Amino acid sequence: MSLLERHPEESLLANRRLQGILGVVLLALLSVPFVTTDSLTGLILTGLVFVMLGVSWNLLAGYAGQISLGHAAFFGMGAFIAAWLTTPTAAGFPASIQLPILVAVVLGGVAAALISLVLGPILFRLSGHYFAIGTLALAAVIELVMLDQRSLTGGSTGYYVQGDLGLNEFVTHGDVMFLLTLVATILTIAVTYRIVSGAGGLGMKAIHDDEEAASSLGVNPLKYKMYAFVVSSFFAGLAGGLYGHYTLYINPQSTLAVTWTIDSLVIVILGGMGTFAGPVLGAGLFLLLDTGLAAIVGSVATTVEGALIILFIIYLPQGLYGLAQDYLVTDVDAGGADPHAADATPDGDPDVVTDED
Amino acid sequence: MVAGELISQSIVNGILLGGIYAVAALGLSLVFGIMDIVNLAHGHMLMVGAYVAILVFAATGITPLVGMFIAMGLLFALGVVLQKVLLKHVVGEGIEQPIIVLFGLALILQNIGQLVLGGDARTADLGIPGSGIDLGFAFLSLPRTVTFVVAVVLIAATWAFLQYTRTGQAIRATAQNRTAARYMGIDTDRIYVLTLGIGTALAGAAGALLSMLFPIDPFVGWSYLLKAFAVVVLGGVGSILGTLVGGVVLGVSENLGALYLGGGYRNVVSLLIFLGVLLLKPEGLFGSGGGGGE
Repeated sequence: MSLLERHPEESLLANRRLQGILGVVLLALLSVPFVTTDSLTGLILTGLVFVMLGVSWNLLAGYAGQISLGHAAFFGMGAFIAAWLTTPTAAGFPASIQLPILVAVVLGGVAAALISLVLGPILFRLSGHYFAIGTLALAAVIELVMLDQRSLTGGSTGYYVQGDLGLNEFVTHGDVMFLLTLVATILTIAVTYRIVSGAGGLGMKAIHDDEEAASSLGVNPLKYKMYAFVVSSFFAGLAGGLYGHYTLYINPQSTLAVTWTIDSLVIVILGGMGTFAGPVLGAGLFLLLDTGLAAIVGSVATTVEGALIILFIIYLPQGLYGLAQDYLVTDVDAGGADPHAADATPDGDPDVVTDED
Repeated sequence: MVAGELISQSIVNGILLGGIYAVAALGLSLVFGIMDIVNLAHGHMLMVGAYVAILVFAATGITPLVGMFIAMGLLFALGVVLQKVLLKHVVGEGIEQPIIVLFGLALILQNIGQLVLGGDARTADLGIPGSGIDLGFAFLSLPRTVTFVVAVVLIAATWAFLQYTRTGQAIRATAQNRTAARYMGIDTDRIYVLTLGIGTALAGAAGALLSMLFPIDPFVGWSYLLKAFAVVVLGGVGSILGTLVGGVVLGVSENLGALYLGGGYRNVVSLLIFLGVLLLKPEGLFGSGGGGGE
């Protein structure tokens, strides 16, 4: 007997048992800052940041098929712009632009989205390998320029972030940042779910599968790529702003370096690329690996990480999600049909894709 | 204003450096053109080649010019194993899978580099930086000149191999049309193994040459990957002469950029030129539209 059952036409989310599990997980997460130690809270917050990065990168790469190697740029720019807004004087900006943390973090995400809005039409002139390398190069340019602009970023010394959350004696800074990050993570998941289960997701999958065919059917590839890119960048920037205001210290290497791109990619590959629950599962496994591997295998942790990426993509391309689906989910009345069949467009009406934004 | 002599010196140094960039780019270009994959671990393989040369030099005093052949041999073997064990599963499966496999490999090589030598930058330190020829308008440093000559010889040898040997012709045929090549009796699987071996051996050679001029640390991989790819885009996929010209253009513009904007912008200049060319003319300034793939 499987844990979950699904009827072919219904979303797994409609399953009562799954709803129960999700509710328990949510309650457990909500209680984290109040029942655990600060270091455990910080660890789980990092996991939430991983979820935001994985889910957002997956929207662009897994659904819209655009392998971006520049995700770190949006995470880091979100972190820095939010930091400038809460702590303007450290970068030589007037104190009058100082904003509360919540507003600054949201604006960090908005700014990251605006950057992608400007750069997207240029970058999307590239496709395939060229897009991957182009985004890697662009992120490198941004990192190098930011590293050089010491007055804005603190250079390699770093940037100390301040921010007044109006705390009383019952909550700490870390606890509030945890709850904000939890809300942002739920928002990331909910918005992305809406997109991929709606017309936008159909358009993205269509250009992923065959851009030329989609284009000839009236799907505007650039529109859906931009849609995925801007939303993806917003949530990466939001994650960066939150992370910077949790750690209260950022520097160009720690926020803009290719490491964050690698992390996003690993999370998605481990969890299952182009699947909705994949990045969430992947972030959990990655958090365990990220904290556990260094303790178990020490300095070869990165090698193990690299090897896992290779093994997963070759032998388990559907990732943990694929495994979980095989063992935990039974399709009722599916009659041996492909378990992914219900994800495909049921009515195949191309107008659904073009009518709506 | 920058003095004229500094400018001419930067240009000369840029040309000499460009030869090594061209060797690195040629390896990337061959693999891209023939197998239709971008070797994301190419820069890290270059780093490994540099470390092999540095370690051989440190242990035995053998010059990196000879150590280069050891590095090439080891990296050829790495390329062969990589294709036979890992990439054969994913080549032709679209762009995502090969890119991700090579990304994982880059992480592994970077980690091994760190384990072997720590995070410090190392050079082969030949101890002959002062010697050279004064041309009047610029100083021709001996290590730079020697590495440039070796680089050009390597490129010429690769060209001759592709042009005049049976195997080279088979490689070019596979690049043009892998299906037709297979019908003509060419063992394309073997061609792929050989191509990746040659491509990674060239990365190793470029690393060994660079180790004589610049400090190498385990994290230079990404930076040299982007430089090599920039040269490929400048020169055009599959064009050997274009690769040499592209390498020189990149070397010169980096040096002039560092001169006018400060050393911190050396890499920014090359990346911006790269992005500019990529966007305006992705087939390359001298490209004929690519040597392979679709």
